[in-house]
Amino acid sequence: MRAPRFNLPVSEEEIARRTTELDELHHDVAMPSLRTSLEEWTDDLRSASMRTTDRRSFLLGAGGVLAGGAALVAISTTPGLAAAAGRAGSGASSSNPPNARGGIRGLSGDLAVAALAASLENLAVYAYSAGISAASAGKLGPVPPAVVTFATTAKSQHMDHAAAWNALLTASKKKAVTVTEPVLTPTVQKAFAKVTDIAGLAELALTLENTAAQTYQVESTRLHAKRAIATAATIQPVEMQHAAILYFVLGKYPGTQDSSGSPLAFNPTSLAVS
Amino acid sequence: MSPDPGDLPGDLAPLFEASADLQSDAIRATGVSLAELPEAPQRVAPGEGASDDELAENRAFALEHRRSLERSLSRAGILGVAGGGALVTLLASAASASSSADVQMLQTAASIETLAVGTYGTALTLPYIGGASANGVVKKFCQVTMAQHAQHRAAFNSAVRRLGGKEQTKPDPAFVPVVNKAVSGLSGATASAGMLGVIALALELENVAAETYVNDVSNLKNANAKRVTASIMGVEAQHAAVLRAVQALLQANAPQLVTLSASNVASLPSAAGSVGFPDAFYPTSAAAPRAQGAVK
Repeated sequence: MRAPRFNLPVSEEEIARRTTELDELHHDVAMPSLRTSLEEWTDDLRSASMRTTDRRSFLLGAGGVLAGGAALVAISTTPGLAAAAGRAGSGASSSNPPNARGGIRGLSGDLAVAALAASLENLAVYAYSAGISAASAGKLGPVPPAVVTFATTAKSQHMDHAAAWNALLTASKKKAVTVTEPVLTPTVQKAFAKVTDIAGLAELALTLENTAAQTYQVESTRLHAKRAIATAATIQPVEMQHAAILYFVLGKYPGTQDSSGSPLAFNPTSLAVS
Repeated sequence: MSPDPGDLPGDLAPLFEASADLQSDAIRATGVSLAELPEAPQRVAPGEGASDDELAENRAFALEHRRSLERSLSRAGILGVAGGGALVTLLASAASASSSADVQMLQTAASIETLAVGTYGTALTLPYIGGASANGVVKKFCQVTMAQHAQHRAAFNSAVRRLGGKEQTKPDPAFVPVVNKAVSGLSGATASAGMLGVIALALELENVAAETYVNDVSNLKNANAKRVTASIMGVEAQHAAVLRAVQALLQANAPQLVTLSASNVASLPSAAGSVGFPDAFYPTSAAAPRAQGAVK
């Protein structure tokens, strides 16, 4: 059994570079949801009431996990990530107290959702990176070229998604989120330890994609700032496209479906993180 | 929320009945509660109907999409062939505009769904899509997808009614000439060219639907209308992803790889792994203007 590594296989420099790129892409017509300036996003946030949501409760709960427990402590005490947590988000004002544990704590409202979303994307990046590493090491048996292409492309897109959320956070003088989602991380850790072949990896990835898509689906109806809504709404369909191709790879009907494999016309939300 | 049976070919009726129960389950799972939509009609403010600017926007949109689709269909080699189309009658009278912003968006969404239902229904009458010799995966995909679009239309129209608007049963007018022309071309195409033509047309419609709903989620005010739309946008994006993958395999002369088998993945070309999701962020440049398919 492999001992999964829980440091994000993305360097702090890479996170910072992607975040900077996303800042720049706010001015790029290729990204309609992020087309307007970061100033507009912060204006949106100021005009929206900063609600105290169940998201905040969730994040405070996550803090409990951090203080007491298992997987994310392991992540956070891994030298690379711990250092990243302390230094990431260099664009943030030094006068603001840094968020603990990689930027995920101490937020509320839309900013809390942005932090949650970034942590989910980090978890997906971790899972795909770990899968690619295991496959490259010959631990998953024969690896079809289409699977390699899928994993590398999906990982890259999840990095872009994380960078988009982190760009919104740093524009609001908050730290970029550099840790994986704390509640799901132990589950993913256990699941990945049991993966022995490409099909198992695809099933794990499918769960993560559906979780992310359903979370975005729920949050896109709860967020207040228009830029945040647009960001969630432009990412959700992409996660669902990842899921469709994973279903196809697994030989299943290539669309959202129930547990018996029957296609569904409406995407459910039972896997959404809240 | 049953779709009009007249929109479903006879052999799809059992499929739809079977999926109706799934639909109910899925609606419950999404947390969408159409009953929670306010019963009171939204007041229509003066000027909320289609303005001159919006009408101009609609015309520009229709023109751009006509050009875009014609480029796609020309590449598939199916334009310019004479012949009739089963959609001509269905699409003879198109939707046009008015009402509150939320209602207009939902009506436009319903009009896109009507167009999609009609397009897949017509495609299924073609032997290489719905016939005995058709690829089983493509045939099933078209059947299921058509039924899903009928469910989407029913959901959008239910939301319209709850907001005090009129159901939209007509297709989006911007696409009527485009689809008619494409369908006319399909009637004289070879099987391989016809399949690619159907896929190009369906892909265009799925992207318009997905991009429109992505936009709508940012703009809708009513929470439940937004939930309904959010539960549908990704499903349309999945349709587009599958169509992209099938299109690529057919263009690579590998129709045998369009099959649902776990062992199939070993034979797929590398590019098949990413062709379905070309953008990290779903674009919205093809989104239909708000009032384009609204009831006048």
